[in-house]
Amino acid sequence: MATRRRSIGRRAQNKQEIRRRIVKAALSLFQSKGFDATTTKAIARKAGIAEGTVFNYFKTKEDIALHFFEQEVDQAMAAVRNNPRLRKAPLEEKLFALLNSQLEYLAPYERFIGAALIHALKPASPLGPFSHRAQELRHRYLGFVEELIEESIPKRKQSPLTFFAPEVFWIYYLGALLYWLHDSSEGKQNTTAFLDRSLTIGASVLRQARR
Amino acid sequence: MRSPAGRALSIASMGAGIAGSYIGYVLQRAFLGQARGEAKLKSTHTRAARRMRETMQALHGPVMKLGQTLSLHTAVLPEETLAELASLQMQAPGRHPSLVSVQIKRNLGGEPEDIFSDFTPKPFAAASLGQVHHAVTREGERVAVKIQYPGIQEAIAHDFKLFRTVSKPAQASGHIPKAAIDEIEKQILDETDYRREAGNIEFFARQLASLPFVKVPCVLHAYSSDKVLTMSLMPGRHLDDFLAARPSKKLRDQLGANLFELFYFQLLKVEALHADPHWGNYLFGDDGGIGMVDFGCVKYLEKESVDYLRSAFLYPGSTHSEEFGLKIEDHYRRTGQKLLPSTRRALIRFADNFYRKVYPPEPGKHQRFDFGDKKFLNDYLRESKNLLRAKGVMTEYIFMARAEIGLYQTLNRLQARVPTSDIVRKYL
Repeated sequence: MATRRRSIGRRAQNKQEIRRRIVKAALSLFQSKGFDATTTKAIARKAGIAEGTVFNYFKTKEDIALHFFEQEVDQAMAAVRNNPRLRKAPLEEKLFALLNSQLEYLAPYERFIGAALIHALKPASPLGPFSHRAQELRHRYLGFVEELIEESIPKRKQSPLTFFAPEVFWIYYLGALLYWLHDSSEGKQNTTAFLDRSLTIGASVLRQARR
Repeated sequence: MRSPAGRALSIASMGAGIAGSYIGYVLQRAFLGQARGEAKLKSTHTRAARRMRETMQALHGPVMKLGQTLSLHTAVLPEETLAELASLQMQAPGRHPSLVSVQIKRNLGGEPEDIFSDFTPKPFAAASLGQVHHAVTREGERVAVKIQYPGIQEAIAHDFKLFRTVSKPAQASGHIPKAAIDEIEKQILDETDYRREAGNIEFFARQLASLPFVKVPCVLHAYSSDKVLTMSLMPGRHLDDFLAARPSKKLRDQLGANLFELFYFQLLKVEALHADPHWGNYLFGDDGGIGMVDFGCVKYLEKESVDYLRSAFLYPGSTHSEEFGLKIEDHYRRTGQKLLPSTRRALIRFADNFYRKVYPPEPGKHQRFDFGDKKFLNDYLRESKNLLRAKGVMTEYIFMARAEIGLYQTLNRLQARVPTSDIVRKYL
């Protein structure tokens, strides 16, 4: 009994390890060769597994990309939640920490992020805002943002602004991502400054609206 | 190459920066308009000054610094406003710890908690370009860690671009020389290079070693970069705390004399000035010691200018004599600036109405000037304003004037009596 459980555990661990290897290989190829030029065959070769095995885990390379974005969002949300100092921090700091941790996660794959953003603009793309999985990720992300807004600025009065806040944040997030992609300042510090200033203004606007 | 989207976005953000700066300018204008009117009640000034300070605080960043420098130099603001502005630097709200973490990680390669054995997330001082935190190094030394806000250089460039545009009329009329704006921008940009500041600290530590009452911090290079500067912690208290403990008259006089000597030692001996000497940058000790902090703004002076000052200070003859007039003329010629008759008159008036009173050329025995009486400050501001009107602004002296007014304000707050002429004579 104990042996069986251990072997199930080991199998799950194995599966996770293979999944990790595929994602790692794919990302390095997306970054060096470009998203469009990367084939599942090349990913399999780089990961040191059979091409068929890749399909056991991911149907398409877009799925791999989405998996990566899910990880990005999950780790950023965890980074905010697991930091005890942030618990009592003002809204702008929490959002700053969230975005900054996302951008830090994306930083090694900057070239690929740029391509993925363009890709997402194609209506039929699984990375695009209309695919089911991408929508689900966005909802989870914006749900979290709303949670942060709620706990920092208690809702006393409903206003159109509060209703739209997460949607506005989504547009802001895409803008910030574009800004970051094109930021040529040393260590991308202009993005840091941009996030800091814009979030401070944004949070104060929200505070006014909810008063 | 930047994509159109990226460019549009950065232009948009620049617009936001300019809008922010513009508000500051408009506010200042509105306030100046008010000040230019008839003598208003003091409370009006203070209220307006506070309003201006609050807005400038909210804007934080270079516009605050620019406003400070200009208002100090041009002396167009009443004294109450200057006092408000002086407190700006110390009371600016700091940025949140997450931003600090990002800057430390980027510059020192790790989270503050990993780099230092202890790091206080709340800053103990915040200024327009950065903020300062207490920390303890892994070796157990208590230090002050100064952290620069990100993107500050770009913000300075934006603010000055705007300022150059809005001040075109003043430039054309010659009231604010273009060179003066360049000088201020250069100095403020220099302040964003913390390696340079580290060099300044080490320069002053060497040069001021012979003044026993002055303490200069040590730079910890292993914990520093061009945007993070770690220094040994200075003993002493800020002026407000120092005064709150009701120091004796004797101690205040002693500190005043030390502060005064430190200024003229720098000006006439070292020929370089710690040009940001508002009281937030000094720590005062109960033994009369002065701890210096913040060496971002240091002005290295031209030898000729110092020679001119040496010859003009405590000039024994009449300020209306031909010799004195020639001195001024000669100096203006050498710096390549035109000396208008009105400027000359304004300079002589300045000498008569301020310098001769505060620094009598033939002081009696035990002469001491009482800086506690506010009248001298008003004299100084009135004459500065007059000099500005007469287009007498010299680029070389912008930061010297800033340092000088900082010194006088601090001496006034200390209510110190200082043997001014005797101290200056030591270094002539």
